[in-house]
Amino acid sequence: MKDPTTFFSGSSPTEADEPQLTRCRSSRRAFIKGVIASGAVAASSAYFLSGCTPGEGPAAGSVERLISLHINGKIRRVDVLPNETLAMTLRYKLGLTGTKLACDRGECGACTVVIDGVTHYSCSTLTHTVGARSVRTIEGLQGPDGELHPIQQAFIDELGPQCGFCTPGQIMSTVALLEKNPRPTREEARRALSGNLCRCGAYDHYLNSVMRAAEVI
Amino acid sequence: MAYTLLGKNFTPPDIRGKVTGKAKFAEDFRAEGMVYCKLLLSPMPHARVSNIDVSDALAMDGVVGVLTADDVPAMEGAAQAILTNNPHYVGDPILAVAAIDETTAADALEKIRYDIEPLDFVLDPLQSLYPGGTNAQVKGNVANAGIPLQELKWTARDFASADTDQFPMTGKAVSEWSYGNLEQEFSAAAVVYDESFVTASNSHHSMEPRSAMSYWENGKCFLFGSSQSQSFMIPGLAAYIGIEPEDLVYIAEYCGGGFGSKGAPYPIMALPAHMSKKIGRPVMMRISRAEEYYLGSNRAGFQGRVKVGVARNGKVTAVDLYIVQSGGPHGGFPDFNSAAGAVSICYQPNAMQYRGIPVLTNTPPGGAQRGPGQNQIAMVMEPLLDKAARELGIDRLEIRRINAPNNDTIFGGRQRSVTSAYQTEALNKGALAFNWEQTKKRSGERNGSKVIGVGIGQAYHSAGAAGFDGLLRIAPDGRLHIHSGVGNLGTYSYAATSRIVAEVLHCKWENCVIERGDTRKHLPWNFGQFGSNTSFTMSRSNHAAAMDARQKLLEIAAAEFGGSADEYELGEETVFSKADAAKKLTYSQAAQRAIDMGGKYAGHEIPDDLHPMTRASATAIAGTGLIGVAKDNYALDGSPPALAAGFMVIELDTETGKFEILEYNGVIDCGTVIHPLGLASQVKGGAVMGIGLASTERIVYDPQNGLPANVGFHQAKPPSYLDVPSRLGSDAVDIADPQNPMGIRGMGEPVMGCAASALICAISDALGGHYFNRTPIVPDMIINAIAGREQSHKPLQVYTF
Amino acid sequence: MAKDMMTRFELYRPADIAGALDLVDKLGSDGWLIAGGQDSLDWFKDRAKRPTAVVDLSRIESMRGMRETEDGLEIGALVTVTEIEESTLIQNFYGVLADAASRVASPQIRNVGTIGGNVCQDTRCWYYRSGLDCYRAGGSTCYADTPEAMNREHCLFGADRCVAVSPSDLAPALVVLDASMVIQSKDGERIVSAEAFFIGPDVDIERMTVIGPGEILTTIRIPNTWSGATFYFEKVADRNTWDFALVNVAAAMRVENDVIQDIRIACGGVECVPRRMTVAEDIAKGSAKDEETAKLAGGSAARGAVPLNYNHFKITLLENLVMRAIRDS
Repeated sequence: MKDPTTFFSGSSPTEADEPQLTRCRSSRRAFIKGVIASGAVAASSAYFLSGCTPGEGPAAGSVERLISLHINGKIRRVDVLPNETLAMTLRYKLGLTGTKLACDRGECGACTVVIDGVTHYSCSTLTHTVGARSVRTIEGLQGPDGELHPIQQAFIDELGPQCGFCTPGQIMSTVALLEKNPRPTREEARRALSGNLCRCGAYDHYLNSVMRAAEVI
Repeated sequence: MAYTLLGKNFTPPDIRGKVTGKAKFAEDFRAEGMVYCKLLLSPMPHARVSNIDVSDALAMDGVVGVLTADDVPAMEGAAQAILTNNPHYVGDPILAVAAIDETTAADALEKIRYDIEPLDFVLDPLQSLYPGGTNAQVKGNVANAGIPLQELKWTARDFASADTDQFPMTGKAVSEWSYGNLEQEFSAAAVVYDESFVTASNSHHSMEPRSAMSYWENGKCFLFGSSQSQSFMIPGLAAYIGIEPEDLVYIAEYCGGGFGSKGAPYPIMALPAHMSKKIGRPVMMRISRAEEYYLGSNRAGFQGRVKVGVARNGKVTAVDLYIVQSGGPHGGFPDFNSAAGAVSICYQPNAMQYRGIPVLTNTPPGGAQRGPGQNQIAMVMEPLLDKAARELGIDRLEIRRINAPNNDTIFGGRQRSVTSAYQTEALNKGALAFNWEQTKKRSGERNGSKVIGVGIGQAYHSAGAAGFDGLLRIAPDGRLHIHSGVGNLGTYSYAATSRIVAEVLHCKWENCVIERGDTRKHLPWNFGQFGSNTSFTMSRSNHAAAMDARQKLLEIAAAEFGGSADEYELGEETVFSKADAAKKLTYSQAAQRAIDMGGKYAGHEIPDDLHPMTRASATAIAGTGLIGVAKDNYALDGSPPALAAGFMVIELDTETGKFEILEYNGVIDCGTVIHPLGLASQVKGGAVMGIGLASTERIVYDPQNGLPANVGFHQAKPPSYLDVPSRLGSDAVDIADPQNPMGIRGMGEPVMGCAASALICAISDALGGHYFNRTPIVPDMIINAIAGREQSHKPLQVYTF
Repeated sequence: MAKDMMTRFELYRPADIAGALDLVDKLGSDGWLIAGGQDSLDWFKDRAKRPTAVVDLSRIESMRGMRETEDGLEIGALVTVTEIEESTLIQNFYGVLADAASRVASPQIRNVGTIGGNVCQDTRCWYYRSGLDCYRAGGSTCYADTPEAMNREHCLFGADRCVAVSPSDLAPALVVLDASMVIQSKDGERIVSAEAFFIGPDVDIERMTVIGPGEILTTIRIPNTWSGATFYFEKVADRNTWDFALVNVAAAMRVENDVIQDIRIACGGVECVPRRMTVAEDIAKGSAKDEETAKLAGGSAARGAVPLNYNHFKITLLENLVMRAIRDS
């Protein structure tokens, strides 16, 4: 077929691994002994990550898979794999898709949640390590009748977001900041939010939002 | 003129979803029975794959299917395919596996066996142009939009005619134009500069990776994707999927950043559609960050040379520009050509010659990135303007005023005119806010190891197009539905330009509904949301539809109360008689009358010049209210420009090569301001991206194996909160453009380039005018320059630290 | 190439050190210890490390908290970087460590990342992180030290088949504070000085520290030797958040009557271990704390450096940072 991207240029207003390998293999570290069991269970397809080997429980002393999480003031029972991150649990098992995955490597903050008052990259938090601590996500901020949290309202009033993908993370960092330090200086706010990347570069408007929120809380 | 809505801030309807987490991006959708696919990516920069054996993978519990290049359309020429057995860069997708969960899919990828034969690869365009140099594609090394795949080599003599560290100027170009008497102007110039330069390729780093989900239902393909544009995506996406446009249901209500990389249809988005069709289940393709660095396209890098002549009075008189672009294996975007146009309009040389070649490289695909070409060249040219100003004893603001484009400007190879241009006003406004006369005196001020640098930067992008359609509906409940097919890249311009309809029809904003983000909302044919065009283009289309609705309202009133349409007027969501205000119809009543009257009023009869997509949408909503629909047939004489000026002060630490930006002010010439907060957000956000472009972002490959060094944010380095000032200044000229009914022009791209070039100039200023010939300027380069050490990279080296 | 999704493993969460030691002893080289997990999970997701069992130490209360002792301060290995940064005790008496902590990665990483994890994190060599089979990954080549290799972030000193550098910001601070690292195993406890804790490729090319299978870093002890001293920390990185030092410097000194009585300086980003600037220290010791001493000491810092293709800028940067440590502290 012809290149469909020429629809673009045709109407643009602008003037204007190891190359020796011939059979693919993965490199292995010395500590890996043998092939890792690759069995998968035909679990409910709603589950993003399927189980370990069918019919087998966890190894002695390993974590129990069915756990209770304290999310946004509610206790949620959920089947969690040992290698599952909180971001995946929230997004794919609990339907809380407001927490975004942008890097999945703890570099950008789009997945920021507040655990016991402290911001965490949920993509870099194993769900099992959360335990009985209280997790708050962007979905937990609105009031019972859907009224916006003052921080959310401030982010609207200052036109904080541009594309909006990093916004839930920015807001969760703001939540943790203002609970700890209700009257931050702009510089303190800047440092507190510095683990949240925004490619649109909306930092100035986000800080305006944080400072406005601090005034009304 | 005074407007009720335009020029005022408002709450865009999509923002609530962004702050509550309810906004649904592509990866937030779920479907019953959904499975997950993962990609097998090429480990080699150029190779041939054969004997793919998927049997072990398919035998795994939970694996439901494999999609290979044989299952998707083959592409002609240099075009990029969805999957390929002939990968052209490390990370090129070879096949995909679908499984009931992502871990199983990832495990299955490791069970796939295939033979892969390495082919010669090339990263450096100049090496590819060298006689006998490697071609990035087997069939050639040059291609771009409108330039078919071909092999082009310069002669050994061409290379020998320049020093090793100089860009050769005699090689054959594929794109060229010139005007004026170049030789004469150069010989008359007071100063002539001749500089070879490199601008590095950088990633888009959209926060939302290009994940997509798809399923099929009743013969229609449902696709949930991430794109800046909406209607504009449909023809190309349908082609990638292999269906008719009307059989595609495309949902893209939110886009987590694109910056050009998601403006037009892109191949990988069609993958889940093909996989879903093959296995009969909904498929989610979650794209990882590393994959986004492979698939998310890059700004083209430049190797080039520019010769600039400047007269004693500061006028730029002659420019000779040659650009070789590295744009990935498929050609990428014509940044090289856009750069030349930008030089011509920004400096208005009496004579100019431009030559360019888009060379293919075995690196991830190139693509348009905010100010593609214009913003790279701004960083090359603006410090040269400073150099001339210093040498000729002219103020650096003044030399920019002397050369600034205005309403009489003619530019580019086609010597086009502009709709209007007020760069002098932008410079003046910025200089006032920045207190240029005082601030410039700080240049070179020392405080211990720190030194102050002051810089002005400028940039340009075209700012609009014409000929697209507008569609609206006044429903019997009196609400105004504005159908917008433009897309939502995150600037709120879809909403700001919809307010034009409300303005013309005297509607309260609260009574307006914007129909968008989903083909089932019956959307008109609109241009893509890129190229700084939306504000200009959409305001014209929406105005045309609004004027159509206005006329219909007046005619309906005339039919109701007698007399002619011109005896009626609109106000407060009513149409009333100018003579007797008691003779009035509410919009609710008028909409009902339109349904009763049928014909054109209810959309049963529509203009012949509409795009088929608009025709289908208008027809689908016909009979449900008063339909306003029209093509933008307003005259367009010349090119609408967006021009920007940025002013910056930095404090550079000569011992660490680091700097702090103390102040930044950006001013945009974009006609009438329609959304002040949105405009400020663009000027400032553009500055942040510009700071990254100028000082941190670049893509590096290992020349031995083509491996990328930047597949994570911390390696690719988009600026963080602490790398940019906590406050940035923004303003606009706010003079109406005569060729837009509301005086509006676009603005999104030059606001990045003016900040990037202001920073380059400020760094140069802090270092006493040192010209680096390369962007970005990283701490290493500053440290080496101050220490008087040679830079680690060779002057024309690309994809390097 | 880009690989994604962690391979399957069992997760163990022992409640005390004894339980953890039992596990690491039993699991041997199949096991992987995580504290904050901020480095480990990336390795797992990239499928470049594939442990079959992961031992999460975060439940072990005895490895948390800080306490003052007669001769200094004990910091549990699970104390987070944020806790270090915000501790008034550390700010007041061991400021170089608080300053270093404030420059680690980002707030979220500091909130979760631990002092133990920070000093045990693996090197950031981009070739190694790509999953290539280099020496450090058990292979038989180094991709970062070839005629064309892109090695801007690599070492100036101590290259031995591998040219990777120490990425930690806390490590140089702990070295100058003369901290000791308490390492436990089933066989008991051993205490190693911070300086000896970090090892180069000449000692073991696959490890960055002396910690071997079956061992856990449980406590970091800071003697009061340098309590309340004059300190300096500076990190130069491309970005001011979430980036690794091109070069960082930590210094502690005792100054009386403007004369430097004693001094320790260590730098990261220039060698596989935090590098003690012993020559610079010798120059500074007994000298006036002034520009001249700073310049002399700084000028000595890069003596013996062997730059690679793209990192000779680090020579100047290292010299300048050592100079600043004396001049600007």
